[in-house]
Order: sequence, then structure tokens, then C-alpha cells
Amino acid sequence: MKSMIHVRDLHKTFRVYRNHKGYLGALRNLFDRKYDLTHAVDGISFDIHPGELVGYIGPNGAGKSTTIKILTGLLVPSAGEVIANGHIPWKERKRYVRDIGAVFGQRTTLWWDLPLTDSLDLLRHIYQIPEDLYQSNFGLFREILALDHFINTPVRALSLGQRMRADLCAAFLHNPSLVFLDEPTIGLDVIAKRRIREFIQYINQERHTTILLTTHDISDIARLCERVMIIDHGRILFNGKLADLLETFGGRRLLNVEFAEEYPSPTLDGADIIYRNGVNIHYSFQRRSVSASALIRRLSENYRIKDLSVEDQPIEDTIREIYENRLLYYDTDDE
Amino acid sequence: MIHALRLLARMYRVQIHSQLQYPLSFIMDLLSSALILGFFFVAFALTLTRFESIGGWTLGEVAFIWGITEFSFGTMDMVFSGFDYDSFGPIIRKGQFDQLLLRPANITLQVLGSRFVIRRLGRMAEGLLIFLFGLSRIQLDWSLLKILYVPLLSISQILFFGSLFIIGATTTFWTMERLEILNIFTYGGAEVMSYPMHIFPRPIRMIFTYLVPSIFLSYFPAVYLLGKPDPLNAPAFVSFLAPVIAMLMLWLALRFWRFGIRNYQSSGS
Repeated sequence: MKSMIHVRDLHKTFRVYRNHKGYLGALRNLFDRKYDLTHAVDGISFDIHPGELVGYIGPNGAGKSTTIKILTGLLVPSAGEVIANGHIPWKERKRYVRDIGAVFGQRTTLWWDLPLTDSLDLLRHIYQIPEDLYQSNFGLFREILALDHFINTPVRALSLGQRMRADLCAAFLHNPSLVFLDEPTIGLDVIAKRRIREFIQYINQERHTTILLTTHDISDIARLCERVMIIDHGRILFNGKLADLLETFGGRRLLNVEFAEEYPSPTLDGADIIYRNGVNIHYSFQRRSVSASALIRRLSENYRIKDLSVEDQPIEDTIREIYENRLLYYDTDDE
Repeated sequence: MIHALRLLARMYRVQIHSQLQYPLSFIMDLLSSALILGFFFVAFALTLTRFESIGGWTLGEVAFIWGITEFSFGTMDMVFSGFDYDSFGPIIRKGQFDQLLLRPANITLQVLGSRFVIRRLGRMAEGLLIFLFGLSRIQLDWSLLKILYVPLLSISQILFFGSLFIIGATTTFWTMERLEILNIFTYGGAEVMSYPMHIFPRPIRMIFTYLVPSIFLSYFPAVYLLGKPDPLNAPAFVSFLAPVIAMLMLWLALRFWRFGIRNYQSSGS
């Protein structure tokens, strides 16, 4: 199968200039410029196939935004190869962007002072969307995204959640083959998040639109993406099924116990105490090494228990542990 | 090309529509800007009447050329205000320029269409009034060439001032770089860089901002139109250089602009 996005050995190095101080320093800066090199993207390769919805995650400053900027043609890489939807993004800008969409959660593509309808109408002309396609897409999206009650409001007066829904609508109006979503749920409440996730899922399933989703919210990834790529320090650390990642690094469970009385140190072999407040204690244990029933038996032999529950560790915590403990590091020479 | 122009017209139309939503405040804006700018001329005219003329130029003659320039600047400020630093600076600073790059339309066209200030009609009207006032005070020896040259001169001035706006906007690509770079490396702990952005040294800026326009885009053309003696004894064709200089300036400005865009894409934002 042909790749929708094909990336090989991609590098982006920024020069960060050091400045001389003072007036004379400003003059020296003109001729004598010292700089440090920062490798924002340090040799990444991957392929994304048509119709896939892939999550792209990593801690702050890992190189996510730089990658997205290169893939959307906003930034020219220092080295490497990218072919996205048949184009080299930064070389054939106008032809390439005609058939892609992009939403940057922190910014809007809409005109600040214009009512939403006017903004969308301008986009219709910019993308030269045929009238009937525009009407059917707009009719569908305004329903799924519930745009109706702010359709005539100027964009500057929209709430963050409304604006994001409007931006999503704008990004998909021209039926793009490939869409980049950079933090589309940032700062949104639970209801707005759910609506946006449903929309993304609908588009991906019904239209087979290829989507690359960047987010801090792991629950976005858990709900939407089968495949996930993790980047840190400019390198891809993991590229595969989310389920495999959790199988390898997750698998921790929580045993939450409420004791009948307070014990000074109710330790339990095979489990760590991760939270303690009076009679309430939370243990964490590895599912593979010990079973919940064995732990409960041990506990009830030594202590009087009032209530207890067992749950899987949230995915967020698993991912955070991967970041924090550098679980995926295969080489350490750059540290 | 036709698609591009229709798009531009559409972008202007929606802005005109939204700017006219409060007609009363629009009219007040129009009047106040015309009045404030008009006072500059009135003050100048009152001073001039005490001296009869300056350097052999009467009030009517000065008003004639002042009016043309004022009208041109007002028109330019209406059409090119997308390139105005006040408008374009924030586009770069807030990263909105990325959004322009993501749309399948010409970048220059999008910036041009990003702001259309219909309020500038006030300044245009003020210029026109001063021009007509000048006309009423002088006996002009009209010819067909002169009648054609007045609008051509105005268009030249519009393009020349517009070019200065484009050049000013282009420098924003560099002046903003260090702030944007800083954003990218918030977590990288990189040091702040200081970019020495004075691509054009001050003398050159002064020359192109004041000297060239006043000499080639108003003084020499006025010498021809008004039939004044020229103490500088320049050859006659110099009076007709205005369109040439305007086109040259626009060409340079657009080249610099494209260079700026390319630099923006390779240096990151």
C-alpha cells in the first residue's frame, strides 16, 4: 500500500544565537555571531497509510510541533525526505495545501472580526469548493459540531470550545485527504472534548480521511487512535499499537483499600503504597507478577478490611511513567 | 488571475460590510480624520498667506500638489493597510502568518486582502478638497498629456508609498524572529538571541521615505504640470520619471517580500 505520509531521516536544526551585551555588543553581533545548534528533530522516519488515524505524542519541547510544521510545509527541514499526499510539502505549497487540512489548537484560521458564516464563505472561495459539496458538508458538520447558535457571531466573541468546533468545521469543508490536528482539545471541557472526538472519529471512519493527531490529552489517543508514535528529544521512541505499548510498559493495577482501623504500616508483599490518608491506602502492583486475589488474601490475613476495589492504572499515568523514567531510551549517550 | 482578483474583491466586500455595521460611528470617524488632517493644511496656508509665496510657489500651487499627494496617501493607506506594521506585526507575532501559508491562495494577495480600511475615504476626500481648492486659485495651462498625467502621478505615488509599506512589513519577519524562537525553546532552555535587525541603515530609509518621493514623485512632476521654472535645471524627462520609479520600487519591494517569506519558512516561527 502506498504511504500517505512518508518520512525518512528527517532533521531540523535551529541556530540559537548568543548575543554580545551593550551597544558595542550590538555592533559586534553584526559581524561576529556565535550560536548554539539545537536539534529539534533528530533523524526521524515513519510511514502513515491512507485512512489511518495516528496519535503523535511526547512531552513539551520533544519536537512534535516542529514535525507538524515540516509536514504542513510551514518549515523547511535541514535534511531528510518527506512525501505527503504525493507532494513535497515545502516545495509545492499551493498545490499541497489545497488537499490538506490543519487545525492548530492555539490559533484560528478564521477571520477574527467576521461572523463565522462569512469566514467559512471566504474559505469556500479560497479552496474553490463546489457549491453543492459545500452545502452538504456544511449542513452535516454544523449538526455534528452543533454550530447553529453561534453561526452569526464574530469569531472574536466565540468561546474556546465554540471556536475550536468552528475551526474543525473549516478544516474539513473541502474534503481534504490528509488532516493535521495539533492539540484540538486543549483547554476544553469534557462535553466539548467529547463532541470533537466524535466528529474526528466520524470523519475518519466515514470519509477515510488520514489524520495525524497531536495531543497532550492521552484520553484523546485512547479513544481515537489505534496506532501511536512517541517522540522525545527529536527522536521517535515508539511507533506501534497503543495496546502493545500498554502491554509492555503498563499492566499496573491499583488496589484501593479502606481499613476498619488505622494501622501504622500496613505493608504488603508484591505491592507499593502510592497513596495514604488515614484508613484509606492505595497499593500499586504489577498484574503479571502477582494476582489481585493473592494480595487481598494476604491483606485480610493480617488486617481488618472494611472495603476495597481494584482498577487498572489510567493510561495517562503509564505514559507519564514512560516519559519520566525514560523507559523507552535505547541510548543514553546524549544525556 | 481572475479568480485571485475576485477573491480579493470578496475579501474587501465582507470587510466593508462589517465596517459599515455602525454607520453613525463610521461617519464620525470619516469626518474627524478629514478634519484633523485638513487642519494641517489650514495652518500651513495661514502661515503662507503672510509671505505671499515660498520659493516662488503660491498657495494655490502648493495646494494643488499637496492635494494630489494627500489623496494618494489616503488611497494607499486604505488598500495597502494589510501591510501596515500595526496590522502585519501582530499577524507575525501571533503566528497567524502560518495560517496564510496553509491556504491555497497567493500570500501577497491574502495579506492585501487581510485589511481594507474604508475609513480612509476621509483622508482621500480631504486631499481631493485641497486639490480642488488649489485648482481654483491657479490658472493652469491644461493639455491632454497633463490631464492624463495627474491620475498617473497619483497611481505612481500610491504604488510608491505601498512599496514602503511592503518593505516595512517584510522587516517584521526578522524583528519577530527572536521572540518566536524563544517560544519554541521554552523547554529547551536556550538563550535569548538578539537579532540585529536594521536591514536598511537609517540614511537609506530617510532617502527612500522622504527624499525620493518628494523630488521625483511630487516636485518634478509639479514643475511640469504647473509650468514652473526649475532652478535645478534638470532635463525635462525627469518630470515623467514618477511611474518608472514607482514600478522599480514596487519590484524591489516585492522581491524583498518574497525573500522574507522564504527566510521565514527556513528559519522557523
